[in-house]
Amino acid sequence: MAIDGLIILDPAGRPIIQSSYTTYPAAYPLLHIEALNNALAKAPREGSVDPVIYVGELSCSSACCHVEVGGMRFVATISGDADPLIAFAFLDAFTEILQDYFGVVSVATLKDNFDIVYQLLEETLDSSGHPLTTSPNALSDIVLSPSLISKLLASVSPATPGVPSARQGGSFGSNGASGAFTSPIPWRKAGVRHNHNEILFDVVEEMRGIVGKNGTTLVSNVFGKIESNAKLSGTPDLTLTFTNPNVLTECAFHPCVRLQKWIRDNALSFVPPEGRFILADYQYKPPQSALVSNVPIPLSLKANMDMGEFGGTFALTLTSRLIKVMENLELKFYLGEDATSAQCTLSSAGSSVGSVGSADGSWSFNSRTKTLRWEILNMRSSGSWILRGSWTSKIKAPRPAHAFQISFEIPSYSFSSLKVDQLRLSSETYKMYKGVRMRSKGSIEWRW
Amino acid sequence: MDGINLNALSENATRLGMRIQETIAEHTRDLSLTRGGSSLFDMADDKAKDITKQLESSSDREKLDAMKRLIALISKNRPVSSYFPAVVKNVASPNLELRKLVYIYLLRCAPSEPDLALLSINTFQRDLADSSPLIRAMALRVLSGIRVPTVATIVLMAVRKSAADPSPYVRKAAALAVMKVYKLDQAHHTTLLDIMTTLLRDRSPLSLGTAVLALDTIAPSRLDLLHVHFRRLCRALPDIDAWGQVDVLRVLVRYARTMLPKPVPASERQEEEVDKDLKLLLTCAEPLFMNKNPAVVLAVARAFYYLAPPSMLSKIGAPLLRLLSVSREVERVALAYLLVVARSHPALFITSHNRLLVRADDAEQVKRIKISVLLALCTVDNHQTLLREFVDYAQDTDDSVVGDAIHAIGRIASLVPSSTPQCLTALMGMINSKQDTIVSNAVLVLKSLVQNQLLTPSSTSTTTFATSLSSQQALLTPSIPSLTPSISTSLSAAPLSIISPPESTSVAQAPLSIIAQLARRIDDIRHPHARACVLWLVGQYGSVPGTGTVVEGVADWAPDVLRKAARSFNTEASLVKLQTLTLAAKLVLLAPTHRTLLLLAQHVLTLARYDEDWDVRDRARMLRALLIGAVAGVMGNNDDEGIGGNWNKEEQSGRPGVVLRREQVTRVLFEGKTGTIEEELVADARPLGTLSLVMESESLHLHDGDNDETVIDLPEWLEQGIDPVLRDSDDDAPQAALSSMVQAISSQGISSQRVPTPAGSTPVVLTPAGGSTPKDTKDWRDLNKFYASESESEEEEGEEEEEGSGTDENGGDSGEDEDTSEDEGDEDDEEGVAEHNSSLSHERTP
Repeated sequence: MAIDGLIILDPAGRPIIQSSYTTYPAAYPLLHIEALNNALAKAPREGSVDPVIYVGELSCSSACCHVEVGGMRFVATISGDADPLIAFAFLDAFTEILQDYFGVVSVATLKDNFDIVYQLLEETLDSSGHPLTTSPNALSDIVLSPSLISKLLASVSPATPGVPSARQGGSFGSNGASGAFTSPIPWRKAGVRHNHNEILFDVVEEMRGIVGKNGTTLVSNVFGKIESNAKLSGTPDLTLTFTNPNVLTECAFHPCVRLQKWIRDNALSFVPPEGRFILADYQYKPPQSALVSNVPIPLSLKANMDMGEFGGTFALTLTSRLIKVMENLELKFYLGEDATSAQCTLSSAGSSVGSVGSADGSWSFNSRTKTLRWEILNMRSSGSWILRGSWTSKIKAPRPAHAFQISFEIPSYSFSSLKVDQLRLSSETYKMYKGVRMRSKGSIEWRW
Repeated sequence: MDGINLNALSENATRLGMRIQETIAEHTRDLSLTRGGSSLFDMADDKAKDITKQLESSSDREKLDAMKRLIALISKNRPVSSYFPAVVKNVASPNLELRKLVYIYLLRCAPSEPDLALLSINTFQRDLADSSPLIRAMALRVLSGIRVPTVATIVLMAVRKSAADPSPYVRKAAALAVMKVYKLDQAHHTTLLDIMTTLLRDRSPLSLGTAVLALDTIAPSRLDLLHVHFRRLCRALPDIDAWGQVDVLRVLVRYARTMLPKPVPASERQEEEVDKDLKLLLTCAEPLFMNKNPAVVLAVARAFYYLAPPSMLSKIGAPLLRLLSVSREVERVALAYLLVVARSHPALFITSHNRLLVRADDAEQVKRIKISVLLALCTVDNHQTLLREFVDYAQDTDDSVVGDAIHAIGRIASLVPSSTPQCLTALMGMINSKQDTIVSNAVLVLKSLVQNQLLTPSSTSTTTFATSLSSQQALLTPSIPSLTPSISTSLSAAPLSIISPPESTSVAQAPLSIIAQLARRIDDIRHPHARACVLWLVGQYGSVPGTGTVVEGVADWAPDVLRKAARSFNTEASLVKLQTLTLAAKLVLLAPTHRTLLLLAQHVLTLARYDEDWDVRDRARMLRALLIGAVAGVMGNNDDEGIGGNWNKEEQSGRPGVVLRREQVTRVLFEGKTGTIEEELVADARPLGTLSLVMESESLHLHDGDNDETVIDLPEWLEQGIDPVLRDSDDDAPQAALSSMVQAISSQGISSQRVPTPAGSTPVVLTPAGGSTPKDTKDWRDLNKFYASESESEEEEGEEEEEGSGTDENGGDSGEDEDTSEDEGDEDDEEGVAEHNSSLSHERTP
């Protein structure tokens, strides 16, 4: 009834890292890997594989839960009637830890630091299948990060090159051990010192919406995240207040946040961990929320579709409804399993900017994923962008997706216009630098 | 002098230069050694033989390198047990980095080398007394992870010692070790239970979660051990780490189901009645809905779903919906749970059904569950919206989703009868689609809808048929007099044959006109199942009394369907062949005198006689025997062309003489068809938070043993709870006044009053980090007094606490082992924190 182990597969589906399956038959992890690879190979399109795959060949009921991280597959195998949510929560926590340690999680970094990955695995997942220490701050005392190890070796070794000394080994042995497990706060290291104290908040909001065939918004919600990066000395006790906390609803917090204080005063009171962490997740509640609480979608799409035999033609017109510039706008259109090719022309009808003809964007057709992509790097507030084209298909009645997936980013903008009122520091006397940045993105499905 | 000095200086400078060069070289070597991991990882196998030499070298760096190579080999599933002796020698290395790698190696290889593993045990036993809690915890973990049965007793001693360790991390490791020893050798059960009682008394939320988990593992039936801890566990919930919260909640749900009285829902006569301990559990768990960890949110939702009285159940709606936006994977799992809740309590999600709309880029499973959830939420008010959605989903690119969506339309028609005409229109529109999947699914759904409508004229169908019904009786009688008695009795109101009412408005929805349209499109309906459905419908409802323009008694469109089916008979699937035979038999029975029909039927029956599928051959034989009296009698003298054909001559002689009359055959062929009920198969809802629920489609494969496990995990409520007095403990409040205060602490959050406690929201403190001890510990054994003085000190000290009253943190904790030296890092800590920590921690008996 627990997580049996964790396997990391490279993009080709071969295991790189694998926790010990000593109490299981040798074929156990292999069966899971095979089941997953089979499922991935069979998937008709990207993202259509069930994240939980039942592995039936075994004598006990068992399944593998998998997530894609940096091109790799992180697989947690579970047995008995365990909750797959625990597996996914663990995979998420483990990925976060790896990011914390190596910055980028890729095949190269994992192979470079495989010994550290194994140590981390040992510390985060007990052999009984229960997650152990998953707070990055506590872990950093137990498992040294790669930069720290080379620093230690570099500083100690040259003094007596080649000659190992018990004293030397002991010194950094105790360095590693003394700090561990002594902090009274599980998520915060003890005794942190910085010359320059700062805490930065990144408020990232994502709009997710669906627009129906007739152009009406069926649903649109904004989900926000407050990402923080703290470099503060000692044990700082912070209180973050907002001028408009009423726009936040359905919040979820990092364990450091005192929930009762939030319930009572709508203030975030917390002792932050060191480094990067996500302070809170929330959903934006539009103030006039009576019945329809849809947030207006900042763009509009007109689609003229014509389906014929062995293909079809389309004409798409995108217009921004926002004063700010939208960046990295991307429209994806799945043309169906049997699509063979696509041909498009771009044009834009800028009213004030007057850049008619100069196509500010690009399109491409991926013949593997059968997806047409249309990208506009900078979408100004006025004018419209047009994509005309046609596609061909192997079958007589082509079967494209009846929806476009549009994603975009809006720098320094927030849908909720959440505003930080103040950040107070108590229990420490130093001055700290505070910063708040806003960022928004969106992912809209537009049906036709 | 100056010259000499200069000389010396330059000499020194060159030396320095050389030294620097060396150092740089050294540095770069270090870097390549330590972080050139991928070269180690992908190293060729033949280099592996150096490993032993490296391990025996005197340089730590060489050894580290060798250990890394070993781990790389393990990672690639190569045999590594031959290095065991060399590795074991390093188990006591003072270099912590090296030692950790050795531990990892030992954990993997010890079971295969039990004898050699024994060699290392002494070292671990020594490490259990190390000054660093990290090393103590690690030693215990390795010791218990070695899994060599002969050492179980030694491990048991180690566990007992660690269970009383001053560091909660070590105690946590002890709890984990308890589970492992139990698995290794169950003979130590009683001793382990003894250790468990120590561990359960733990004050630190860090180890408490694991302790509960361990108890659950080694003695799931001994919930009685939790009586005295129940209230404390509830209050400590917010401070336990996320994984512990999940485990503790699971156990507490079980405890509540077995030990607490079931809440009595509010009724007219009395108010809602909830046990105060149950209430305590729910109030303490509720803030955890705001946890970032989805597993915790689900665990709380699970607790509310299975324990809460109806009035509190509404709290689980929003958190479950929030899980859907966490990640694709979490969405997939959470949806499976949400479906169960939505089926039993649709009201929770009806207002937010738009959060559950299907997106074209969802995974196939997600789409299918969302459709099921939306169906569960279907009401008279929102069925229009849902119908529109389902029509959209029918264009999906996944076949299974298309099928689900179209079947969902059929379900809407039966859930909201007034929507039937709309649903039928939508389905009829799909018949004209170019996509096979859409057409065949629409046909299947139409078939059951039409059939149900014709069989049981509900309020809607009667409106459509109202006009026809009255005329029907009159029409039936003259045309087929022999049929009338049976029909009018058995089908009283249900029409066997109806002339669709001529009103143009309802033409699209009238069942018979739908069958007519389907019949005309038979060429485009290629899916065997759908084709078979149409053939059956045509045969069953193809009788038109009297007015047939082509064939007397048969609807205009029916004979042509038989012709087409007969023409393609050889290429059809067996399913379709069977229905072609049935259709032929029915038509020939309706119009026994029509020559072309007879010939067609004969042709089909002959083809079927030589079919390779024996079901088809049997069906043909059966139908022939059935019809012999009814149809052949009419044909009489025309044996060669009649339905009997050659078959008659061959086999008539040996056949027993029961020949059915035409009325009887009609009865056999046309009557007694029950309407198909498009009920969704709702599996017996398995408990939330289980794999078998998530994998519902495959739950058939799950083994029976798992069932028992889930039953144990979620027992039924008992008639009456056990005596709440049992839950009173020394640290609990006996008086009512105090218990209300305890409530206040847990729900209001004491931390907000005690600003410097970084712990969060309860009075239970995170770790006993050493620190000042009150003079008289006995006072503190009474929680009553403890809370009293706590609140006093809060009032007095308030914010000043954080300035620190200069408590001596290094002073040994009176209740703990004295020889701890884990105080090195503590000076920097907040004094207030330490003070609070200590105030509770000392209570543990050494």
